[in-house]
Formats: sequence, C-alpha cells, structure tokens
Amino acid sequence: MTQTGEEGEPKMAQAHAKPQHDYHLVNPSPWPIIGAVGAITLAIGLLMYLMSRKTGNPELWYVLPGLALVVLTMFGWWRDVILEAHAGDETPVVQLHLRYGMILFIASEVMFFVAWFWAYFDVALFPNDITTYARTEVTGGVWPPIPSDETGVAGLGYFGHTFNPWSLPFVNTLILLTSGTTATWAHHAMLHNDRKGLAWGLACTVVLGALFTSLQIFEYMHAGFGFSNHIYGSTFYMATGFHGFHVIVGTIFLLVCLFRALQGHFSPKQHFGFEAAAWYWHFVDVVWLVLFTCIYVWGAGTNFPAH
Amino acid sequence: MANAQAEAHHDDRPTGVRRWLFSTNHKDIGTMYFILAITGGIVGGLLSMGMRTELMEPGMQVFTNPEVFNVLVTAHGLIMVFFMVMPSTMGGFGNWMVPLMIGAPDMAFPRMNNISFWLLAMAMTLLVLSLFMPGAPGTNGVGGGWTIYAPLSTSGTPGIAMDFAILALHLAGASSILGAINFITTILNMRAPGMTLHKMPLFVWAVLVTAFLLLLSLPVLAGAITMLLTDRNFGTAFFDSAHGGDPLLWQHLFWFFGHPEVYILIIPGFGIVSQIVSTFSKKPVFGYLGMAYAMVAIGVIGFVVWAHHMYAAGLEVNTQAYFVFATMVIAVPTGIKIFSWIATMWGGSLSFKTPMLWALGFIFLFTVGGVTGVVLANAGVDRSMHDTYYVVAHFHYTMSIGAVFSIFAGWYYWVPKMTGYMYSEALGKLHFWLMFVGANLTFFPQHFLGLAGMPRRYADYPDAYAGWNFVSTVGSYIGFAGLLVFLFSVAYMFARKQKVGDNPWGVGATTLEWTLPSPPPFHTYETLPRIK
Amino acid sequence: MAIFHRMLTVFAALVGFALSGAAMAGDGQPTPWQLGFQDSATPIMTQITDFHDFLNIIITLVALFVLALMIYVVVRFNEKRNPNPSRTSHNTLLEVAWTVIPIFILVVIAIPSFRLLFAQYDFPKADVTITATGAQWYWSYEYPDEGIRFDSIMVPEAKLKEGQPRLLTVDNEVVVPVNANVIVGLKSNDVIHDWAVPSFGVKLDAVPGRYQKTWFRAEREGMYYGQCSELCGRNHAFMPIAVRVVSQDEYDAWIAEHKSAAIDTEGKVASAQD
Ligand code: HEA
Ligand code: HEA
Ligand code: CUA
Ligand SMILES: [Cu+2]
Repeated sequence: MTQTGEEGEPKMAQAHAKPQHDYHLVNPSPWPIIGAVGAITLAIGLLMYLMSRKTGNPELWYVLPGLALVVLTMFGWWRDVILEAHAGDETPVVQLHLRYGMILFIASEVMFFVAWFWAYFDVALFPNDITTYARTEVTGGVWPPIPSDETGVAGLGYFGHTFNPWSLPFVNTLILLTSGTTATWAHHAMLHNDRKGLAWGLACTVVLGALFTSLQIFEYMHAGFGFSNHIYGSTFYMATGFHGFHVIVGTIFLLVCLFRALQGHFSPKQHFGFEAAAWYWHFVDVVWLVLFTCIYVWGAGTNFPAH
Repeated sequence: MANAQAEAHHDDRPTGVRRWLFSTNHKDIGTMYFILAITGGIVGGLLSMGMRTELMEPGMQVFTNPEVFNVLVTAHGLIMVFFMVMPSTMGGFGNWMVPLMIGAPDMAFPRMNNISFWLLAMAMTLLVLSLFMPGAPGTNGVGGGWTIYAPLSTSGTPGIAMDFAILALHLAGASSILGAINFITTILNMRAPGMTLHKMPLFVWAVLVTAFLLLLSLPVLAGAITMLLTDRNFGTAFFDSAHGGDPLLWQHLFWFFGHPEVYILIIPGFGIVSQIVSTFSKKPVFGYLGMAYAMVAIGVIGFVVWAHHMYAAGLEVNTQAYFVFATMVIAVPTGIKIFSWIATMWGGSLSFKTPMLWALGFIFLFTVGGVTGVVLANAGVDRSMHDTYYVVAHFHYTMSIGAVFSIFAGWYYWVPKMTGYMYSEALGKLHFWLMFVGANLTFFPQHFLGLAGMPRRYADYPDAYAGWNFVSTVGSYIGFAGLLVFLFSVAYMFARKQKVGDNPWGVGATTLEWTLPSPPPFHTYETLPRIK
Repeated sequence: MAIFHRMLTVFAALVGFALSGAAMAGDGQPTPWQLGFQDSATPIMTQITDFHDFLNIIITLVALFVLALMIYVVVRFNEKRNPNPSRTSHNTLLEVAWTVIPIFILVVIAIPSFRLLFAQYDFPKADVTITATGAQWYWSYEYPDEGIRFDSIMVPEAKLKEGQPRLLTVDNEVVVPVNANVIVGLKSNDVIHDWAVPSFGVKLDAVPGRYQKTWFRAEREGMYYGQCSELCGRNHAFMPIAVRVVSQDEYDAWIAEHKSAAIDTEGKVASAQD
C-alpha cells in the first residue's frame, strides 16, 4: 500500500514541489494540547474530589471542568478527522494506518483487562494457601468465599452470595451475542450500500447495548456484596465495571456511527469509523464471554439465589 | 490522490504558538521531547546530588527527617525513568529519527504524536506537584520508592501525594501507549518503497521492539495503579490482606510491567549504539539479522522473568527456580549483541569521535552491569543481595551508565543533523571522561557496599559503610560536573554556529537521514526515496 | 579544605588496605572498606559465599574478555593502523559460537545455583521456633513454645555503650543456641518489612496477612546483626535485627530466666503491641 507516489528520484526534491505521496500531513491542531490540559484538569479535579471526600464532604463536581475539556477535545478532534476524511485526506494508506492503530489500541486494552483477571485469579485460584492466612480467614478457604456473615469475623466486608449465572448474566450474554450479529448485519448492509439496513442494524446494536447496560445496573443493585472491604466484591466490580464502562463507550461510539450513517456518511469503500466501532464492539463482546465464563459461571459456587 | 487541502497545507509552515504548541511535525515534537528530557535529567540529577550528599558521611546531615530522603529517592527513580530516559530515547530520538531513517514524511498520526508529548508534560507536572503535597504522616511527597509497594503505598501513605503520583503515572502511561501505537504503525506502514523489514536500520528495529513492550506492559501498570487508587480511596481490597487481598499481587503486577520497562529503557540504546558503531567503523553491522532478532528475543523473554525482583518476597521454591532459569536465558541474546558490536569493529577503520567514545563506554560498562544482573538472577545468592546496594550498583550500570551513555552517544551523533551545527569535540570528550570516571567511581564501590550488606533506601547507615559511601559521593560530584559540561557544550554549540554538511561522518554513515540537509527542512521526503 | 583532607585519608586508607591485602571482614557486622560478604556463620551462608566466589570469577572473566577484545580492536583497527575497512558482516561459525558458549556457561552456573536454592528451602526439623513480627519501626519476637515475647528496638546513639555499633544495636536481642536449627516465622503488623541477617544468608519479607518461614543454623557463638531490608517508611533504616548466638547452657538459662515474664523494653512502643 505504500507503493504510491514514488516516481521521483531517490534524492528528494525539497520544499516547494507538492508532496508526491499519499500520506496525510496533518495541519497544526490545538486539540492535543487542549486535550492534555483537559487531562490534567480532570486529574486535579479528581484529586480535589478525593481530598473533599476525606473531609466527609464529597464534591464530585470538581471533575466536571476537566471532563468538559476532554469531551470538547474528543468532539473537536474527531470532527476534524471526519472533515479531513471528507476532504479526501484519508487515502487508502492512511486508512490502513487507522486500521493498524485501532488493532494496536485494542491489544493494549486486552492487556488492561489482563490486570483485572490477574487480580481475580490471584485470589480465586488460591483461596486456601497456607501462607496467606489472612486471606483464608476472609474466604473461608474456598472460592467463592463463604458468606461473610457466616464466618462471623468482625470487620470484614459484606459478602452474601454470588449471582446465579444462568439468570440475568446469561440473558446479558445473549444480548451481547445478538448485538454482535446486528453489528455484522449493519456492516453487510453498508458494504451493499443498503442504507436502511445499515441504520437499522446500528440502531438495534445501540439499543441492545443500552439494554445490556441497564440490566447490568439492575444486577448491581441486587448484588449480594459491595465494592469495598471484601476481595470478592472488589475483583468482581472492577472487572465487570470496567467492562461495563467499555460497553458504554462502545455504545456511544456506535451511536455516533448511527448519526453519521443517517447523515449519509460511510460508503462501501470508505467507512473506517464504522469498522473501528464494530471491532471495538466485538472486543467488548469477547471480554464479556471471558468474564461470564470465569467469574459468573466458574466462580459461581452453589450458594446463589435461584432468580 | 492529492487534493486541494493537502496542497494547501503542505506549504503551511506554522510559526510561534501554532508551530510549537499545536505541532504536528515529528521533528518539532522530537525537539520538545528533548527539552523535557534534559529538564528531567537536571531535576533527577539534582535529587541524586541531594541523596549522595546525605550519604557522604554516616549520620543525618542534610535532612532531619529520613522520610524526606525517601521522597527524594522515589522522585529520583521515577523522574529518571519516566521523564529522562523514555522521553530521550523514544520521544526524542524515536520521533526525530524513525521517519527520517525509513524515508517517511512524518509519523503515521502526527496529531496524536503531539498529545503524547503534552500528556507527558502534564504527567511530569503532576509528579513534581506531588512533592509538595502531604504524603506519609508529617511529611510531604511520596516516599514509597519508585516501586510503590502496597501497603506502604496504601495505608502507609495516607496523604494525597500518592494519588498525585498515581495519576501522573496514568498520564505518562497513556502518553506512552499512544506513542507506541504511533511508532508501530509508522514503522510497519510507512517505510519507503523497497525498505523491507530486513533492510531497516537497527535503531528502527529497536524502536519497533520497544514500542511493542510499551504497548503490552503499560496497560498492566495502568490497571495496577487503578487498583491502588481504589484501594486508597474507595475501600477496595486488592492489596489489603485484612479483607482477602494480597500485597504480593501488587508486586506481581508492578514487575510484570517493571521488568519489560527496564528493556524499554535499554533497547533503544542498543539501536543507537549499533548505528554509531557501524558508522565509525566504516563497516556494515556484523550479523544484522541476529542483532535484530536478538532484540526481539530480549523483548519476548522480558515478559516472563518478572518475579526475579521478588525472590525475597516468599515465593515458592519451584517458582523461584523457574524465574532463575528464565532470567538467565536473557544473557544469551544480549551476549549476541555485545559480540556482534565487537565483530562490527573488527577489521573496521575506527575513528574515535565523541559519539564513538560514548558507544565504546556503553559496550563495556553495560556488560559490567549485565553480568551483575546474571549474578542477581540466581535466587540463591540474591538472598544476600536483594535490596542492598549491589542491586543499586547493577541497575545504575545498566541505566545511569548504559541508557545514559547511549543517550549521550545518540546526542553527539545526531545533533549535527538535527541542528545543523557541529558540537565541540573537546567539550564532548571532556564531558565523556568526566562522566566515565564519575559514574564508575560512584557506582563501582556500591557493589562492595552491597556485598557487605548495606541495604538500599537507607538515609543513614552503620559507620562501617562510611568509606565506600564517601568515595561514591565524590564520584557522583564528578559525574555531575560532567553534566554541567554537557549543558555548557550545548550552549556553546548554539553560540558558535559551526555549520555542518549533509553527512559529517563520511562513508560509514549509510542510513537515509544523512542524505538530507542539516538541519533537515521542515517537511522531508515529499518525494519518497527508493531503496534498492 | 576539609574535602581534600578527607580524600587524603581515604587514599591513605585505600593504600593501607591494598597493602594489608586480606579482607578484614568482621564477625556478624560489616567492617570499614570491606569488599565482600560478611563472614559466614551458617552452612547456607558458606554455600552462598562459595557460589558467589565462583560466579564472581566467571563474570569477571566475561567482562575482562569483552574488555580485552575491545582494547585489541581499538588498538589494531583504528583509522591510522587500518585505513581500509573490511566488509565482512557474517561468519556463521562465530555467530554459533557466541550463542552456544554463553549457553554452556549459564548451564555451568545453573547447576550449583539450583543446588543452593533448594538447600535454602530444605527445612530441617526445628530445634527452636521463633516468630518475628515487623512493625513500624521495630521487631517483636515470640518464642511460642516457651511463651516468651518481647519487642526489640534500636538503641539510639546517645544511649550506646562502649563497643556497641550505631544503628545496629537493639535493646533486646534474639537469643538462640549454637548449632541448633532455628525456624523463623515472619509476620507483619502494618507494611512489608524484611528480616535479614547477612552472616546467616537469610532474608525474607514480612508481609501483612502472610506467615512465611525461613531458617538458619548458626555455627559460632557471637552477636550477629542485620537490618530491615524492605522499604517500610520513615524509620526503615532504624529497625535493626540482632541475634545473640549462645551455648545451649546459656540458652537454657536465658529461657528459664525469661519464661512467662515479660521482657522490658527501653522504648515506649512495647505496650502498644498488646
Ligand atoms: C536498563 C535497565 C536494566 C537492564 C538492561 C537490566 C538487565 C538485567 N537485569 Fe536488572 N534491574 C534493573 C535494570 C536493568 N536490568 C533495575 C532498575 C533493577 C532494580 C529495580 C528495583 O528494585 O528498584 C534491576 C534488578 C534486577 C534484579 C533483581 C535484584 C533484586 O532486587 O534482588 C535481577 C535479578 O535477576 C536483575 C537481573 C538482570 C539480568 C539478568 C539482566 C540481563 O538482561 C543482563 C544481560 C546482559 C549481560 C549478561 C551482559 C552481556 C552478555 C555477554 C557478554 C554474554 C556472556 C555472558 C554470560 C554467559 C554471563 N536485575
Ligand atoms: C535512568 C535512571 C537513573 C539514572 C540516570 C540515575 C542517576 C543517578 N543515580 Fe539513581 N536511581 C534510579 C535510576 C537512575 N539513577 C532508580 C530507579 C533508583 C531506585 C529508586 C528507588 O529505590 O525507589 C535510583 C536510586 C539511586 C540511589 C539509591 C538510593 C537509595 O537506595 O537510598 C542512589 C544513591 O547513590 C542513586 C544515585 C544516582 C546518581 C549519583 C546518579 C547520577 O548519575 C546522576 C547524574 C545525572 C545524569 C547522568 C543524568 C544526565 C542526563 C540528562 C541531563 C539528560 C540528557 C538528555 C539528552 C541528551 C536528550 N540513585
Ligand atoms: Cu522495616 Cu524497612
Ligand atoms: Cu528485572
């Protein structure tokens, strides 16, 4: 793909000739520095919030200015990207860059989840190691742990029971799997220039994503354990929570694609924005399958309510 | 497929704020990284002078509160690693040279390149701010060591300073991950026609391998510090044994990142040294493929040796045995590199310009640091060395000498290209000899201290350790004098303005960047070069 | 100027050291200008020392070999002596050699290395069992079989008696019999500490929530000092470890004297323990 525009002599003609290549030399842009300032503003807002929490008077709004800057950056930056794409800057080789970029980004996300799974298996595989006596006291030497009100050790966090994997979690699995198919449907439709199918496919995916999130929130509200003071809840919420966050991001990503599709964006030839969203969505899907298998099913034990 | 907009902006040579703050130019961004790295080096160096001055004699002289010493050690380690070496090697040399060496007009994602830089600048700001925030009871700043082991970093450091440091690492991590994506895409996708992977200069290979290490190890650190943040602030139990967590989980996650990190620090240096050795021997690199794949091997094996930092933590004996074995394997590909450099020089026609001096110093002194690593790899003797100054000596030979020498080698090698001015040979050589003597005097005696049992991260030590500590401190002053000479030589170079041609190094310099004018124009390779 | 005076002393000491030749390792604690390990007092430390001597020879030879090659190259192939560079960039035999020979060296290292490692974890039957609990910033010891329990706190400089080393001396030492297998179990009350005694070849983290064990058999009577070896905050440098190795008779007497009677500590932290 890099073979285009190479007709010049090896020693390059400088400066004034127009570029003889298909790469995209981006104009100077304010977004990176605004984004970075947004990031530090967000960080400082978060730190101020954490300090305010310690005084017993939490002020969550401190994070808003930074968040606003970050969102503004995303908006402005991606708007520019879309404009550039429409202006024809995204030559085939540039699109290839974007593909590489997205794949690598997803690879780094996979490693992110490795950290959560590591934390989970660190305890789930070894709840009964003789050297880790404090842990054995908490878990009762089994995984999932013995309910903490039964072990009766004072000061432990609350752990009542796990979820029935074949109830809501299973429904959620089906929802995500279905959403994977609807995303593929949209993709196919787009490739055949079926705009209606594209829009409907995307709309269904977005709705299924939102449904998943709602069910997840509902599930959280009926959990038999909290986030804090017990390793079960900590590992569970960290892993599923980060996954949930990714679902939300993916849903927004798809929603943006839906709007763009309705505006007439994406052609059978040029549609990387949509493709990236689809890849991301499939990635989120796969992570869920692993979560479902390892945490919900394998880690369910027998002590869960039937519903 | 050139279009109206592309034509419009290629002539666009921004100035002032637009050129620097909004930059989408790999050379300008590289320059900004260099400024950040030199700033980091000065700050980190000053911190180390504070530490060494305290350690010059037994007793507490400089600090009354030993925790302040711990804060300096921590900041020194973090700043040197994240804000000196990484921004020089990947940020500075990587940005400047990768596109030039592969014949690409810029990086694959020029705008993302800029946010990588600014995120790092913000991260450094947060880290420096942390020094002034409350940390351990009664003290400002983070004193938990650069490894911030839990629970010293959770319940042991209740103040907000630790959260500052955590978020600083989050931003630095995001910066590096984006940078890694950028480098990998650029290298895989933007090589000039004819430049196959197996024709790429070794520095580019080094950056490619390093970028993969960054991409795959930093997210794990990000996850770990996120858990640290929630443990500290939201009562989660990951590292809290009273609620079923495990302090050793932190160590596993940290070192799963931390060990690849040390190769992130050195592999670009391997690349730089390869270019220089070949240039000043006027010979092609010996065993090119072996050199490239040795780096790949070091990178891959680097992911499966992390627990050699935890031999004293109480791992099971069989686990320790595995990590002994895996760690020692790394000596093999590293040896291939050392011997191939020597073989490159063998039969060559060596000229000892400043960059070559640094490269020669690197090869020998890195070997010294590497072989003590092989000693540490043996859990059985590491029992006696872990957390002593022997380890400090080992890692300064690999980093403060290895990585730093490679950075200065690269600096003198490429600075004529980047600025168009020749540095002063006399000052460059003076800089080299001061650092060479200073660093060896600083760090070699630390082996003795370590063997004799002196633990690291100690603000005060038993009187018997006084002698070698004194020598070490004197050495560090000499090294710091070298740093001042360096700064002067940079100023002198810009004042003297002695112009250089396209290729000041002659026939040995065969990579593409030497075909360009010095300094290269704002946009290079508007017509792609063709590699035969 | 003070610094020059100081450097002169250092130089004089160095020369003196070089002349006297032998390593002046002290017993149970470091000595000025010491170059190697402290003298071994246990079979494991003897093994560590031997293995390290062996390793040290190998790595010195490797480093010198690299240095020698470099010197040769620099002398023989500099521009003046060799104006026309060769173009050789391959030699399969050489490349195989510098891959295989290091592998061979590493195997030679690995065999005694594993032997040492497994010896360290070959726990003998305990004659004495002690639990050491790390806390910020002192150690508490317990002899569970004897019901003895005390805190061990560093003696500040002002209170040191003649001949007591600064930063190493504690108010209550651990007392163990000579030639007995002592198992030390480690716990922590707050953050990670590390119980290390160089002349015993022992170093193990005290991790909150974990109970881990190490062991030693001291072969000589005397005082053996160690220091906390995991960063644990402000006074990390000020929580030493001191083990007094005595004859079996003295040990029995010590036990009899202290059994079920609390041992006084000079510091105030002691009571906070209970
Ligand atoms: C640039 C950074 C860098 C590099 C390249 C290395 C390289 C190596 N390191 Fe090092 N290391 C650190 C930075 C680095 N290290 C840091 C920062 C720490 C401490 C962290 C902390 O606790 O704060 C550390 C700590 C550390 C430990 C833990 C010690 C402890 O805390 O108890 C160990 C143990 O195995 C180790 C081993 C090694 C090995 C085997 C190599 C190998 O890669 C070396 C290979 C090279 C050679 C061997 C030389 C050349 C080879 C030949 C000439 C061939 C022939 C040689 C033989 C046959 C021996 N290192
Ligand atoms: C790359 C990393 C790096 C570098 C360069 C250094 C450089 C130095 N370090 Fe250290 N150090 C660490 C990484 C590094 N260090 C780490 C990770 C720790 C462990 C922290 C912990 O325990 O948590 C440590 C700990 C440490 C200790 C142990 C403290 C203790 O345990 O109590 C000591 C003590 O002497 C020390 C001293 C020094 C000295 C005198 C230098 C001198 O050599 C300094 C002189 C300055 C330079 C060599 C920098 C010059 C470079 C530039 C100015 C940039 C140039 C840029 C371009 C040209 C683009 N350092
Ligand atoms: Cu206790 Cu260090
Ligand atoms: Cu390592």
